[in-house]
Amino acid sequence: MLTGLLRRLSRIPTVVRRATVVPVTVRCGIALAGVLAMTVAWPTALLASQFVVPLLVIAVWPAFAPRGRGATFAALIAVAGWIVDTAGYDSRIALWRVVSLATLLYLGHTLTALAAVLPYDAVVNLDVPGLWIGRALIVVLISAVLTVLALGLTEDLGGDAFQLATLAGLAAATGVTVILVRLTRRT
Amino acid sequence: MTEPAAPSWAPTRALGRSVLLTGLLLLLGVALGRVDLVLLAAPFAIGAALHLRRRPESVPEVTITADETYLVEGGAVQAGLTVANPDALGYDLVVVRTKTSPWLRLEHSDRPFAITVPSDGWAAIDLPGEALRWGRQDVGPAAARAAACGGLLASRPVVTPARGVRVYPTTEPFKATEAMPAAAGLVGAHRSRRLGEGGELAGVRQFAPGDRLRRIDWRVSLRTRDLHVASTLSDRDAEVLLLLDLLGEVGRSGGVRGSASVLDTTVRAAAAVAEHYLHRGDRVSLLEYGATARRLRAASGRRQYLTVLEWLLDVRADPVEEDYEPALGAHHISTSALVVVLTPLVDPRAADMLAQLTQAGRFVVAVDTLPEETAPPVRNQWTPFATRLWRIERENVLGRLREHGVPVVTWAGAGSLDLVLRDVARMAAAPRGR
Repeated sequence: MLTGLLRRLSRIPTVVRRATVVPVTVRCGIALAGVLAMTVAWPTALLASQFVVPLLVIAVWPAFAPRGRGATFAALIAVAGWIVDTAGYDSRIALWRVVSLATLLYLGHTLTALAAVLPYDAVVNLDVPGLWIGRALIVVLISAVLTVLALGLTEDLGGDAFQLATLAGLAAATGVTVILVRLTRRT
Repeated sequence: MTEPAAPSWAPTRALGRSVLLTGLLLLLGVALGRVDLVLLAAPFAIGAALHLRRRPESVPEVTITADETYLVEGGAVQAGLTVANPDALGYDLVVVRTKTSPWLRLEHSDRPFAITVPSDGWAAIDLPGEALRWGRQDVGPAAARAAACGGLLASRPVVTPARGVRVYPTTEPFKATEAMPAAAGLVGAHRSRRLGEGGELAGVRQFAPGDRLRRIDWRVSLRTRDLHVASTLSDRDAEVLLLLDLLGEVGRSGGVRGSASVLDTTVRAAAAVAEHYLHRGDRVSLLEYGATARRLRAASGRRQYLTVLEWLLDVRADPVEEDYEPALGAHHISTSALVVVLTPLVDPRAADMLAQLTQAGRFVVAVDTLPEETAPPVRNQWTPFATRLWRIERENVLGRLREHGVPVVTWAGAGSLDLVLRDVARMAAAPRGR
């Protein structure tokens, strides 16, 4: 393990020398989305303490290893922070926070998906990140509209939305199941 | 029973992440009765649903294009990669990588390329560059991997075999004005040492039956009051055999603008000598002195020149184990051929071969192809002394070869062989036999 780590470290100068602008920008975007998601999700009190350091490391990690499980872990930690803040610290569930967190989590996820298939030293046509981000923005826009509509339907976001959550959750779960069945049949 | 083929497209980690986060957030949302958690899952679910509504079936097709024109080392190469998408769904990203021969300097060929390819379309990547050294230089193999459905699916890598680019050696200027030692054919450009129909005046002699009337030298005939004719030397062609010593490679090749290794000098000199003699109408053949002993039959003309260049592309160091002698006997070589041996004279077997050919009465010229600055890598304090001793020993071998009548000349392009050809021609004129 130590040998592997040393080998990775010894590759850093080569990686820095060969890296190109677009993949580096994509990875910067992942890091930025991760840091902002953590900032939105976690309670301010915790962010002001020493806990901020591991949170930032977790948020930035997918930018360095987009092919690993770091992005999933970072997203789960952000969701955990959101639950801790809203349930533990009784913070108000503001519309802007839900929309921001959903957007940042998705942007981090989709940019990580791009970085995972885009080598750091690639010569990239600009239409690749352009179209990719364009598609991501469409998804984010639809989600934001849905969020606004859904939150508009529930007057009290803290407690009496159980019915709506159940319905939306069941509908989404059905959708996911259909997708999984189609994928299984394909492979 | 045949094994099922691997699927062309596979889910990526991003799809797994999408499904996991969606499922988990939905479960938590339902369990805790929190609509905000369900809404956090919305982009992942919507993204997956939008992207996976149509899925690709076909993998990308990669084609390598390379110059087919007559390309000489140092010349510009135009290579390229074309990625086609036979699918009805566009690829969000195709990453294409290619390997290239170290002797082709192609722009960005050491980097992967990331492009998008529309459905039923194609995209091209240009790889302009320069050919640095003679030989068959490969562009490829190239590999491509596509991502579609917003990076949720990735294709298996598709590999295309390499495509060779023929880079011909530069022919260093070479010109030999001296007579061939043994012009043998019936027609040709060399003045032979025999009398016959030709352009070169050999002398004036008395008319004899069979002489053509147009050969009568009227001025001499009037003065001597007896018919005299101008006799000429016949013009004949000759066979030149280029013997390439491939027992080993010495020196580091730096390409067309760098230092020349033994093989570089051998191939470029062979191309130059062949071009010169073929241009003059002679027959040129080539033979390798190595394990394979490839041979190119003697022929003349432009077609043979192109064949020679093609043949030279496959020249490689072809060592033979020290205990064995490469199979080459004097009987393989025509008695009238001029044998130009391109050799670094590093292997003692090459010196033996030269001596044997000369002893067998062949007209042999040795061209020393060893680079001047060649020295083994310095390993310890004794290396310089060992190198010096080796050089002295080599000089000894060269001296002994010269004593045996083998002219050895260092390759220096134009006029390299003139001096030795004159000596060989003189020797050829002398009575032979032992």
